[in-house]
Amino acid sequence: MIAHSPANVDEASAVMALTYREKQRVTFIGGGTQQQLGNPPADVDAEIRTARMNRILEYAPADMVMRVEAGATLAQVQAAAREHRQMLALDPPNPDRSTIGGMVATGAYGPRRARFGAVRDLIIGVTLVRGDGVVARGGGKVVKNVAGFDLPKVACGSLGTLGMIADATFRLHPLPESSETVVFERLTPEDVVSLVASVRQAQLEPTSAVALRTNHGTYDLVIRFEGFAKGVEQQTSGVRRLAAGLRMSESGGKPQHSLDEARTNGALRIKLGTLPTRLPAVDAVLEPLLAALDRSSFAWYATLGLGFASGNASDMRAVVAALQAARSALVETGGWLVIDAAPAEVRREVDAWGPKPGAFAIMEQLKLRFDPERRLNPGRFVGGL
Amino acid sequence: MTSASIDSKLIARFSAIVGDEQCIWKPEQIQTYECDALTSFHAKPGLVVLPRSTEEVVKVVKLAREAGLPIVPRGSGTGLSGGALPVAGCVLLGLSRMKRILEVDLENQWVRVEPGVINLEITKRIAPHGYYYAPDPSSQQVCTIGGNVAENSGGAHCLKYGFTTNHVLGARIVLGDGSIVDLGGPVLDPPGYDLRGALVGSEGTLCIVTEVVLRILRKPEATRTFFATFPSTTEAGNAVSFIIAAGILPAAIEMMDRLAIVAIKAATGVDWPDVGAALLMDVDGPAAEVEHTAAEATELARKAGAIEIRIPRDAAERETMWRGRKSAFAAVGRISPNYVVQDGVIPRSEIARVLREIERLSNESGLRIANVFHAGDGNLHPLVLYDAAVPGQEALAENIAGEILKICVRSGGSITGEHGVGADKAAYMADMFSEEDLATMNMVRCSFDPEMRFNPGKVFPTPRLCGDKPGKYVAHATEIAGLAGRG
Repeated sequence: MIAHSPANVDEASAVMALTYREKQRVTFIGGGTQQQLGNPPADVDAEIRTARMNRILEYAPADMVMRVEAGATLAQVQAAAREHRQMLALDPPNPDRSTIGGMVATGAYGPRRARFGAVRDLIIGVTLVRGDGVVARGGGKVVKNVAGFDLPKVACGSLGTLGMIADATFRLHPLPESSETVVFERLTPEDVVSLVASVRQAQLEPTSAVALRTNHGTYDLVIRFEGFAKGVEQQTSGVRRLAAGLRMSESGGKPQHSLDEARTNGALRIKLGTLPTRLPAVDAVLEPLLAALDRSSFAWYATLGLGFASGNASDMRAVVAALQAARSALVETGGWLVIDAAPAEVRREVDAWGPKPGAFAIMEQLKLRFDPERRLNPGRFVGGL
Repeated sequence: MTSASIDSKLIARFSAIVGDEQCIWKPEQIQTYECDALTSFHAKPGLVVLPRSTEEVVKVVKLAREAGLPIVPRGSGTGLSGGALPVAGCVLLGLSRMKRILEVDLENQWVRVEPGVINLEITKRIAPHGYYYAPDPSSQQVCTIGGNVAENSGGAHCLKYGFTTNHVLGARIVLGDGSIVDLGGPVLDPPGYDLRGALVGSEGTLCIVTEVVLRILRKPEATRTFFATFPSTTEAGNAVSFIIAAGILPAAIEMMDRLAIVAIKAATGVDWPDVGAALLMDVDGPAAEVEHTAAEATELARKAGAIEIRIPRDAAERETMWRGRKSAFAAVGRISPNYVVQDGVIPRSEIARVLREIERLSNESGLRIANVFHAGDGNLHPLVLYDAAVPGQEALAENIAGEILKICVRSGGSITGEHGVGADKAAYMADMFSEEDLATMNMVRCSFDPEMRFNPGKVFPTPRLCGDKPGKYVAHATEIAGLAGRG
């Protein structure tokens, strides 16, 4: 295996052109936090690391726009933005190690997605180095722009199978003046759904709402409000009033890391998507899986219908069976289940992505137009793309 | 050439699919469809079909393919870039009869609609329950969701809430071979490439959309509107900068210059004073936050040099203010026989400088230019006024509009913020993107529509082909029936 560490887009282009001429299969590494996502790429000849491409290329605070190289970390971006009381409104786990390129490639998001969206909603421009070394740009550096096809969105979540993300441009948001977190403890899944509905009905606008499953099989719902102090104050007392009506208890703030636990701990990590009101069904479907894992945890982004489960597998057969059952139940009702990380024994039995999507024929054409020889992260993505 | 390539037998076969009433081919009836709201471009379609279901769309697409005809999709025809401009002799596929709202799920905040549904109809349907659909192009009373998806439409309130692409969760599409494919749906992040991201804003060049799943939002608790007048656009621009720098994200900030204000007053009868510039702004959200941001923004507008700040007394007065803004293009149409409108975008911090350059162009050419635009995101809408009856004026106006686009690109912006490239701005794409960029975008197009069946000649500055379909052989693109005329 050859490793390359280009220092800028020109070097990245030269490296990619070299792999093209040599017909080498290539993988990309940013901060390494998501290397287990998807199927392991097959027979890779070269890896390209983005670590040296870590500059903030442009930052116009008055325009609230930042253009960043792929290897810069999220923490680095946030530190630069904070100086101007701004932020990139993305909060995936591991900000110290998560890189911009990796975040785009994996379609990153954290709890704040409830208010600000995922990386696809905040990216406004991208520079891609294609498999043949050609450098292509899409989007631009203004927030509003419909010129040409939306290459930035095509890059989001493409997992290094279409090209190398060299840099990306984002819209920023004002750093909130104030932040308050309210936790409602020991809720049933049904209570979580109805409390979230009441919050919406009351026109409260939390920036995140995450339900964490406890060992009692109940949920702690962590609701956060951010913004100007007066608005946060009003909403915090508003949500307390709602809870009083629903006879629920409330306690002080939980540290951020407990929100990320289900996304970072354990040798087996999965994520799933369904409609937000389906939490009770999801809870029932996941029960056997969580029971089969040691130190299991489950976090549910309650307004989005996205969940994360993790733990350590000892009884592989039980885990595999539980995963397969959970996936088919989810898929049957229009949802999905994807493996973020798993031991080899599990991977052998359970595909990382599940059934091929209905639009697979178009996806395959997209892959082959960009990478006709299937050299970029071969086999890692959906359906072996 | 009503039907040079479409004979009566073929017309009969299209009629058999959609019914005689929905198949339009007589010269006097077809005229309506020769252009969209960009009326300086027009071309005659071979025939117009108005299907009522996905199944009918599939049959129309298959028959057009068999006959080797290009297909141009169309909604209400309100587009300002010639996106729905026919290719001469094409099958113009109008989706306005597919206008059912199919499903509403308030609890999970989505709706499923057909592409011919009018934008505002969605909000009307769900407003009684306290929900709305956020993207609000000025034409929202008449434009269709299908057209919004094609153009990635924005509107005044996309500053805070995003564009059509941020609100489309899924779509059912018909490809060039007649196959039906579902992209995404109400559940977020289905595994695979973000094809709905590629679809939204592709200007009808990939496929025909026959259903769309849209995100809907709960109405904010409070909305505060204010209207502030300024001596000139410089002070108004400063006010915008101060407000943004204070960490306030308004739902909308719209700017109008002196000429735009004059036109709007004449057309709508709003009692706005004669001033150099005005801002119309909405802040919304939880009540206490809105109280705070409205007070702060008002104070900052004063600090920037506002002459007068008006706060609407009630919802009706607020409506009137916004109607004034949204009718700006039509209003300008009443003070000038003709106008060209452009849609360039610049970084917000460049607004004052670029407006001065536009003023210089106006002074040099002698043509009046009105400015009404989305100041919060730097999306300009300069309206270059001219009289087509005066020889040379139309060409002069087009030239100035083109110059303005080049200024936008040089300032680090874009040639279009929400109207789309269409036929109008295809020639300017090369100012913004390299040949490699465009070739890469074409790869996306080819993965959906390798035969270039849909809306050929739009978006890209020069015609392109797809080459063989990777993986297996497919017949080459059919010759396009002809190019659009101008005049």
